Amino acid sequence: MINSSKIWLIIKREYSTRVQTKSFLLSTFLTPLLILGFMGFIIFMTVSDNEAPKQVVVIDETGRLLEPLTQLNVTRYLPITANQSIDEIRDLIMADELDGYVLFERSFLSEGTPATFVHNGAGGITFFESLRSDIRDVTRQIRLEDNEVSEAIIAIFDERPALENRRMNEEGVDEQNNAFLGSIGGILIGVFIFIGLFGYGAILMRSVIEEKTSRIVEIITSSVKPIELMLGKLLGVCLVALTQFSLWIATYAGVTILAAPVAQFFINQQMGDFQNSVSALDATGEVANVPSDIDLSFLEQFSIDPLFVLYFFVFFVLGFLMYSSIFAAIGAAVDSEQDSQQFMTPVMLPILLGYMLNFRIAEAPDSTLAIVASLFPLTSPINMVTRMLVSNVTFWEVLLSILLLILSLIGMLLIAARIYRTGILMYGKKPTFKELYKWIRQA
Amino acid sequence: MSLVIDVQNVSKHFGKATAVNQVSFRVEKGQIFGLLGPNGAGKTTTIRMINHILNPDTGSISILGEPASPKSQERIGYLPEERGLYKKMKVFDQLMYLAQLKGLSHQAAKNAIDFWLDRFEASTWKKKEISELSKGMSQKIQFIATVAHDPEIYIFDEPFSGLDPINSEMLKDVILEEKKRGKTILFSTHRMEQVEQMCDDICLFNQGQVVLQGNLRSIKQSFGNNTVLLDFVGDSEFLNELKGVRINNRSTNFAEIRLLEGASAQNILQVAIAQAEIQRFEIVQPSLQDIFISTVNDTKVTD
Repeated sequence: MINSSKIWLIIKREYSTRVQTKSFLLSTFLTPLLILGFMGFIIFMTVSDNEAPKQVVVIDETGRLLEPLTQLNVTRYLPITANQSIDEIRDLIMADELDGYVLFERSFLSEGTPATFVHNGAGGITFFESLRSDIRDVTRQIRLEDNEVSEAIIAIFDERPALENRRMNEEGVDEQNNAFLGSIGGILIGVFIFIGLFGYGAILMRSVIEEKTSRIVEIITSSVKPIELMLGKLLGVCLVALTQFSLWIATYAGVTILAAPVAQFFINQQMGDFQNSVSALDATGEVANVPSDIDLSFLEQFSIDPLFVLYFFVFFVLGFLMYSSIFAAIGAAVDSEQDSQQFMTPVMLPILLGYMLNFRIAEAPDSTLAIVASLFPLTSPINMVTRMLVSNVTFWEVLLSILLLILSLIGMLLIAARIYRTGILMYGKKPTFKELYKWIRQA
Repeated sequence: MSLVIDVQNVSKHFGKATAVNQVSFRVEKGQIFGLLGPNGAGKTTTIRMINHILNPDTGSISILGEPASPKSQERIGYLPEERGLYKKMKVFDQLMYLAQLKGLSHQAAKNAIDFWLDRFEASTWKKKEISELSKGMSQKIQFIATVAHDPEIYIFDEPFSGLDPINSEMLKDVILEEKKRGKTILFSTHRMEQVEQMCDDICLFNQGQVVLQGNLRSIKQSFGNNTVLLDFVGDSEFLNELKGVRINNRSTNFAEIRLLEGASAQNILQVAIAQAEIQRFEIVQPSLQDIFISTVNDTKVTD
């Protein structure tokens, strides 16, 4: 019944007109740069936060906390100078020359009176936490000393046992795993699918509205069936999205494959320089402690599993077709983008839900919530992919998720096609939900 | 003469509204067929059903002997009332796309488009986007999109609306030329002078129903010579004194007078001569405009 050669013509048009646009080229090549820039910015912020030291005056009425605190961090904790009054310190804080002061009352150690941190608002929660942790450490140290606890027990308190993170792979071999990196990757991949579903869905909807308002749709439907036009548009835009994702994944894979050898190359070069300078110093008889090799295997964690890419595409394509058929139906039902808002809200809710659940799923990929979200077809396109990246999901779960998604995709397509068919030739009044329901019911 | 379009007892409802109600008409090969009627009479809905864009609720539509289908769509060239093209697409790409959707091969589409662009002296626009073209230019492109696949049937919905006089004349020439080539043309309009000049058969719609149909000449004949055309110089006041007539058209020195029951043309002449200098006095068949208006008004009364 469906004429595939005509659908193919529509796909070709949808694809080639989009891929040739400047905005496609720009977004394809700028997005990786933007992401790199964004990551660089985050790293810079994290680093620069440490580099901007805060200065806090310690007003120590107990006379015991100032010294260990300054030992802990000499730039952060300042003693009060001989003739400074609290009011003068407060003025300095107002003038931003100091970040704040901590007041330990005489009864701080004896009765546990809380210490007070007075500040000008700079620093935020991280700084407050670090301050509290410093005070906790110092106080504990004083208590241990006061009780004449043995060195051995003090050592016990100082102990920080290590926990190595190894993840068992498909072949049952342990690999070094960085759960943090996995979660970040899971969240990022979810964000990508979210943006893809939403961004390309909006592009599709806009294009349907444009065909309707420019009235070309009447000429097209005098040549092809509305369902053929809709399918052609869906597949064409989907191919554009896949092209863009493929280019990004190829770039990413290229970077990760090249990263280790390139890094090794630079390390070797620096090493060589270092050794040259060391051999020049050899006469002094000093022995340089040169590491023979630097372990770069951690870079492998950034590499990308081809099977995962395949699943990523499967879930994206199915999710895209499901959601975008609804976007196409909405575009057909309205005359302008403003009118689409009312219908967009119920469609956006599940996508947003999947997007927000993603953060929980990256943290706890095997919780009941995560399992439900990764099977439920409205959220699975986002959540299953994240789960697969963060945790080991059984093949059966993935298969079940795909099957459920295909079933609901077919259901959505049938509903959407009926709204689309009626909507594209209706002009004027924006339909109500009741009218849309009637369009769906019409045989 | 073979039957090209056969519409039988077709009805179409949108919700509770009836757009087309029990409509039947036939279009023969080589005819120019006019669908007339006021706005909202159901012409566009009927045209969409013939184009297989909409399906009738009841009744049947046959195109060249077969029920309307995707196949029959390829044998029709359709120019909708509301024109539209992809604004951001180049002229040539756009025409190729539309022609191929109508079933033409790549090469056949290319040949046809080159031919038509050349014929309309538009070959230099090939690489331009529609948004860069003037309205008259994009109308020509729209027309090429309708005819490029060399269909047997042309369906034009209000083809002359929005056309400048040059394009309008050009379109008329093409329609008459295609008729000579044996093509069948159906168009809807409410511009009566074009219908009178071009149409063989007409079908008059009102409120979703056919109220009058048949051969244009016979319809006009059946109304008889009941109209007086009068050219005069002088005071037109005498027109108001005439009894038993309806004045369809009047200006300072012209009147088209429809004779109603009991009125006589000679009587009008006598009254006119007494008060003005008569330059022309002619008894003719009613104009289509007149037939249109009186038929539509009659059906309104009977409702």
